[in-house]
Amino acid sequence: MQRLGSGRRVLGTKNVTIYIVALIIIIALNFLLPRLMPGDPLMAIYGDEALVQMSPQLEAELVQRFSLDQSLWHQFGAYIGGLFTGDLGHSYYYNAPVFDVILGRLPWTLLLVGLSMVLSTLIGIVLGIESGWRRGSRTDRALLGGLMSLNGFPDFFIGMVLLLVFGVTLGLLPLSGAVTPYSGLSGGALVLDVLKHLILPLAALTLAHVAAAYLLTRNTMITVLKEPFMLTAKAKGLFPRVLKYRHAGRNSMLPVLTMTGIWVGTLITGTIFIEIIFSYPGLGYLMYEALLFRDYAVIQGVLLLVATIVLAVNFLVDLSYTKVDPRVRYAH
Amino acid sequence: MHIDLKREVTRSTSGRFGIGLFSLILAMALFAPLLAGYDPLAQSEVSLHAPSWGHLLGTNHVGQDIWSQLVYGARTSLLVGLSVAAVSTTLSAILGAASALIGGLFDRIMMRIVDAFIVIPILVVLVLLAAYLQPSVWVLIIMLSLLGWQGGARTVRAQALSLKERMHVSAARCFGASRWYLIRRHIVPELSPILVVGFIYSMRRAIFLEAGLAFIGISDPSTVSWGMMMKEAMDFSYLNAWTWWMIPAGVALSLTIIAITFIGHSMEPAMDPRLREVVEGEALA
Amino acid sequence: MLKLVDLRVNYGQDQVLNVNYLEVAAGESLAIIGESGAGKTTLGLSVMRLVEGQVRGQIYLDGQELLSLPEASMRDIRGRRISMAFQNANNALNPVHSVLSQVMESPLAHGLGGKSEARERAGHFLTRCGLSPDKFNAYPHELSGGEQQRVLIALALVNEPELIILDEPVSSLDAASRAEIIELLQNIKGSSSMIIVTHDISAAAHLADRVGTLYAGRIMELGTTMEVLSNPRHPYSRALLRSYPNMTTVKDLQGIKGRMIRPIPGCPFHPRCTQAIDICTREVPDLAITNGRCLACHRGGIVSLLETRNLSKSFGTIKAVDSVSLSIKGGETLALVGQSGSGKTTLAKLIVGLVEADEGDVYIEGDRVINRSKDFYRQAQMVSQNPGEALSHRLSVQELVMEPLNIQGIGTNEERRRKVAKVLGEVELSARTDFLDAYPHHLSGGELQRVAIARALVLEPKLLIADEPTSFLDPSIQAKILKLLLNLQEQRGLSMLFITHDIAMARKVSDRIAVMLGGSIVEEGPANQIITAPQHPYTESLVNTASHLHLWGGGDRLHHVHPH
Repeated sequence: MQRLGSGRRVLGTKNVTIYIVALIIIIALNFLLPRLMPGDPLMAIYGDEALVQMSPQLEAELVQRFSLDQSLWHQFGAYIGGLFTGDLGHSYYYNAPVFDVILGRLPWTLLLVGLSMVLSTLIGIVLGIESGWRRGSRTDRALLGGLMSLNGFPDFFIGMVLLLVFGVTLGLLPLSGAVTPYSGLSGGALVLDVLKHLILPLAALTLAHVAAAYLLTRNTMITVLKEPFMLTAKAKGLFPRVLKYRHAGRNSMLPVLTMTGIWVGTLITGTIFIEIIFSYPGLGYLMYEALLFRDYAVIQGVLLLVATIVLAVNFLVDLSYTKVDPRVRYAH
Repeated sequence: MHIDLKREVTRSTSGRFGIGLFSLILAMALFAPLLAGYDPLAQSEVSLHAPSWGHLLGTNHVGQDIWSQLVYGARTSLLVGLSVAAVSTTLSAILGAASALIGGLFDRIMMRIVDAFIVIPILVVLVLLAAYLQPSVWVLIIMLSLLGWQGGARTVRAQALSLKERMHVSAARCFGASRWYLIRRHIVPELSPILVVGFIYSMRRAIFLEAGLAFIGISDPSTVSWGMMMKEAMDFSYLNAWTWWMIPAGVALSLTIIAITFIGHSMEPAMDPRLREVVEGEALA
Repeated sequence: MLKLVDLRVNYGQDQVLNVNYLEVAAGESLAIIGESGAGKTTLGLSVMRLVEGQVRGQIYLDGQELLSLPEASMRDIRGRRISMAFQNANNALNPVHSVLSQVMESPLAHGLGGKSEARERAGHFLTRCGLSPDKFNAYPHELSGGEQQRVLIALALVNEPELIILDEPVSSLDAASRAEIIELLQNIKGSSSMIIVTHDISAAAHLADRVGTLYAGRIMELGTTMEVLSNPRHPYSRALLRSYPNMTTVKDLQGIKGRMIRPIPGCPFHPRCTQAIDICTREVPDLAITNGRCLACHRGGIVSLLETRNLSKSFGTIKAVDSVSLSIKGGETLALVGQSGSGKTTLAKLIVGLVEADEGDVYIEGDRVINRSKDFYRQAQMVSQNPGEALSHRLSVQELVMEPLNIQGIGTNEERRRKVAKVLGEVELSARTDFLDAYPHHLSGGELQRVAIARALVLEPKLLIADEPTSFLDPSIQAKILKLLLNLQEQRGLSMLFITHDIAMARKVSDRIAVMLGGSIVEEGPANQIITAPQHPYTESLVNTASHLHLWGGGDRLHHVHPH
């Protein structure tokens, strides 16, 4: 974990190479794993069930498209080529190109992940600032103990408890899906419906991940409050709220922003679990289904996309960091 | 800076709480055969029975005793947690220190690899691997270790780099100390606190991931796991069974992770003295 | 304008600050000088009510008492009527906001205008403090130390407060920036009152009208800058100045024995004070005006030890000593410089009573000396130039050093032996039997002189008259003897009348120099003044003909004025 010491420059963060290397590793894994399995590459990639379902023409087409009867290098070439054209293979279960299947589920996941990322970070930061400001008081200790304990509950557990309490037992909120099926709603009613379905999964994810931002902010706040510039600010006769947020808070946020990229990875992990629990039709649930049905093509596609999204977010966070912390210089 | 982790942990409330809780779980794992009444995997016709004297937490859909599964599940979690933490920490120590001490091209390449792995979402890779490899517990441990050592390596490297330059190491070199002596007497003791903290957090993550993978359904079905218990319970969520089936497993898992979190938290002021509680009467000027 | 009454600050059990009374007039600048841990920063912070700890007493700003104000009202005053410029250490400025925005914040917060007015005002003061406009939007880490200090000062000035408190404004700066900031502060002086808290005495000298010395949270001396810095009257102030390296002082640096210990009963300085008496260990002295100076000392400041008034002696027609009036204070060294035949030794003998004076009186600690009783010799002792002659060659070292004790009948045999051993240690000689049994002809010149000094000190006198104590010694030994004498002064507070013909040597050991010619004192004053700006032509010639090692530049032309 990078700690932001005041006065120390943040290590001239990562440059593009890292991300490219990471991407290569994933693509390589994706590519190599099935092909290293004993047996026919087609079967390894697509699995038994898939082959059973496929028509011979489709088989032949796939073999041709991905050069599965040729050398490994040719296959790699074809694979990469396929990536560029958005050809991720064919899903036997949905009987459609993997790309289309994934694209249909992507927006829901983005909605869930995006909202929970924003909410958990914001709430975590605010609570962290308030807690750090009042360090040692009853409020602080309660918050600290509470959130540290909350941090211990895995997101899938929280999700399940919420589902069982609010969905099953109390029957207040829907048990599954992103929208009520076949309802034909539109406009404001549709939005409301989406929200109703979104509340529990979003709550579960946010609750599980708010502690990370909270703890980091609180810790940073504690060290920032001891800095000389806080005394300088107090000497100006500023209001406590200004001191808390404009001076201490602004400095305390920085490590959280650094960690955002890494936290997206954890959040996506959590999203996968949550989607499974709530049967929420996003990428996570898609992957779960694909695992159940051994639709390897879809598994690979989802994983590749998820990894790419996480890497992209990390990269963007790195880029934007200079705007936020003036002490960081980029070595180009 | 003199870091005495044992003192830190035993002094603070959260540390003592964490250790206490962890010891309970550890006891549960160690004494599993004694505590469990049944073989956790033995199926019976008594399925989905509510808790009774014979079955403290009732039985699941195939008649397995839930309480027995719970105590054996502790074994799995702790086994995976401790093993992964041990291997991970060792790897990060060796590779991190080597990177710092050897320097040059080796260091640069190593750090690129480390950074690359840090940004990869682990679950993604794990699912990919697990889908193809159907891992047993041991393979899982290896996978988690290989994907988990990178974070610690960075910290170890940073610390080793600063140690290289420190005066007491230079002084020892001026006395003609060998590299091995330096590593043994000056560098390793300084690294211990970081490694301990790394061990704690590594264990936490490993336990979480093992349960998570079991929950998704891609771990070894022959090992009892809290995650698997929760997954199976979920399929029967429309029944009342979840109260005695899912909750205990979830709570056990959570308590274990909470215990580790509290222990880790109590170590933080040792690593960063600025986080210490202000002692009464501390002067400003 | 600002009045501190009975201000006490405690952190838990520790009393960090205890100021009976302190006043700053409008437009005046006051410097508080002290070492680390003295409580100077606490003083500054407590006026702003930014101190963590219990604060009791009263602080009056234009008659309004500040400590009883609600926090909201104090917030109004902070930054507006009283402001503080902090030391530029590390992170005194918030790293994530530009310096302009940080300076602007203050007038905005106090409602002195809208955003554009605040920006203009901030810009105006930043410029006045010497920061160029193209740096206004820079972040603190992009500026140099000197520039950051300017920003901090501008921050304090921007609302044109009545009082500015400056905490070590120049301590963390390089020499060039230091000079510039001092100049800046001199320009500001007068428009607001200033309290400067620092350990840098020369900065205080440049900037302050009045100076106070602070020790262990209490004010020891308070007066005008001229008074306190050129003529300190409190033992601590004098000791502090003696330990401060600067281009003006010529005497070698001397420290203060012991170290600050807190808390102790009585005067906080007494363990380190060389003129402490019984009451000093029991009662805390209040700050009071004694002989025109504000001091906290039970003895009324540095005591006067020796005084001669119109001392005269003639041998036949020659007036050896012509109406000499001198004074030596406690713990001070007065060097008496003159050539042979000027009457120096006669004067020494007059003081010690070896020769009867024709006219004039000698006073010890304010009392006139009528006859030289045994008590007198416990106050004043003499060491002369030739130890070989001063020490009887028949007596061993032990017997020699014990002789004064035997004569005065002090203590038992055992106690006397112990005193001898102790004093031999003080003059850095061995107290082993083989040394104690040695005779003068066994010892080197340096050792002999040390024995002579030990002998003189065994009665624990307050005044040591050293008549050319090193002229019979080699330079390498001479230097050690001189250092020994300085150390004895530091440890025991020994006063010295140091008689020599060598003004270069006198310069290194004396606080004041008196130049003697033909029986009278032609010039007298602080050592650095006599050396750098001699008034009398004889003094001037002494300085010019003294040993120089000036090997570069134009040839040295010696000015020699014949004494007549």
